[in-house]
Amino acid sequence: MSENLPGIQETRELLKKKKVVIAGVGETEQGKIPNKSSFHFLSEASKLAIEDAGIGKEDVDGLVTAFSLVEHTFMHCTTFADYFGMNPRFFSSVAVGGATAVWMVAEAAMAIASGQAEVVLCVRGDNTLSGISSSGMLALIREMCHAEFEFPYGLTTPGGYALAAQRYLHDWNNRPEHLAAVAVTMRKHAADKENAMNKDPLSIEDVLESRVIAEPLRKYDCSIISDGGAAFIVTTEDKAKELGITNDLAYLWGMGQGYSHQYLTTLENLDQIYNAVERSGNKAFGTAGIEPKDVDIAFLYDCFTITVLLELEGLGFVPKGEGGAFALEGRMEIGKDLPVNTHGGLLSQAHLGAMHHVVEATLQLRGDAGNRQVEDPEVAVVHGNGGIVSAHSTVVLGNQPIN
Amino acid sequence: MSEEKKEYNKPLPEFRPETKPFWEAAKQHKLVIPRSKDTGEFFFYPRALSPGADMSEDIEWVESEGKGKVWTFSIHHMGPSKAYKGEPPYVVALIEMDEGVKIMSNVVDVDPHDVSIGMDVQVVFDDVTDDVTLPKFKPAN
Repeated sequence: MSENLPGIQETRELLKKKKVVIAGVGETEQGKIPNKSSFHFLSEASKLAIEDAGIGKEDVDGLVTAFSLVEHTFMHCTTFADYFGMNPRFFSSVAVGGATAVWMVAEAAMAIASGQAEVVLCVRGDNTLSGISSSGMLALIREMCHAEFEFPYGLTTPGGYALAAQRYLHDWNNRPEHLAAVAVTMRKHAADKENAMNKDPLSIEDVLESRVIAEPLRKYDCSIISDGGAAFIVTTEDKAKELGITNDLAYLWGMGQGYSHQYLTTLENLDQIYNAVERSGNKAFGTAGIEPKDVDIAFLYDCFTITVLLELEGLGFVPKGEGGAFALEGRMEIGKDLPVNTHGGLLSQAHLGAMHHVVEATLQLRGDAGNRQVEDPEVAVVHGNGGIVSAHSTVVLGNQPIN
Repeated sequence: MSEEKKEYNKPLPEFRPETKPFWEAAKQHKLVIPRSKDTGEFFFYPRALSPGADMSEDIEWVESEGKGKVWTFSIHHMGPSKAYKGEPPYVVALIEMDEGVKIMSNVVDVDPHDVSIGMDVQVVFDDVTDDVTLPKFKPAN
């Protein structure tokens, strides 16, 4: 089915020919770090990724950045190029909300496949926690919702997701504990991630008794806010060899996007969201030549607990409406059916879009995930969503070249 | 809805040329929904061109009876800014109108916990400032 989607074979041929890889990753300290600016984190994360790859800054000829929620700049990528002191021959700022980090991988791959660059630094960093007040975060919805027809009604960011969650619980006859189970699994995973903000054990009851933010979402259904940076280096297998990179490589097998709506006002039904997730996933799976059942580990965008359920189902890992039961039965835990967000995700590790999801997928495929290492994973999927589950991006990564 | 004009610090819509008729009608306590004259399809929010395949610039504003059902809702226990102090809990909802479009609004004049998906609602008008009237919804009957 997926193989027939437009463009699948073209993308597949390019990835087979070029063998695009993630060859290095970097992750700064995450948490409340008030003495560092957004550009400080960007630079520090870049340096760590370059060092992890064992290359020099001069070897990097492409740059993909995103945006800052604190320091708004008109041209984010070149502003950072100037700050960091580099002169890339390819540069781009990707800005699709929570779908950004995943699409940075694809943006870099497309630049490499078309000859615009050979070694692309993808980086995000921000002092979101120290630079924006919590009330500022609640109002961040203004950047995503309709300023004229939604914002005047007092919608908050959690509230936007709560609207989706309420309908989800209604349509599938689920209960808040189905959502809570997602937060519990993420917390369990964060316990083994050295660089995680929230490691204290969390029970379903803890989630259900936490402060109500926007019904049906409570405090622990919402992701954390953090300061920090993360980066990864995208290149090709050949170039990695030429540069003497000794890391095990994470190979890019597939990529895809799916769009549903920007404003909840124009959302027709939940199926519209599922279809967008599915299109994104099918394109990535189709390019990779795999099916959901072939995936060993999944990294799903978890800005709120509800998104994980919608993505699990939309990507075809479980039938529609069964994500909550899957979570409640602990089947997303390491060692179970499908380990999800082995680093603790946005709900417990740190929030930098899906940057850490990409980094962790790479570490897991390399076998470098320490105590939380999944046994010999061969295929990982990373899915990001931006807006209120409106814009989706998916990549499939493997520990061997795509075949 | 209230007689005295209190200071209103919450966000207000900034009208665009193509949305102005909506807000002007609201001020007169009328809910109007745009429709493409070419296809007869309603759409919401208002745009200069129909978002359908017709891309029509020929838009008409049709007065609605203001009836719909709650498609989803969230009881907000925290507002987006200090201006909402004392306001929560309040209900933000997506209303599926009889015309088929959805409108985001508040469900008012009801205990938030009595709101449910599928509930029949009817538009009411809240004159929040001298210039702006926000269409809101209350349970029908």
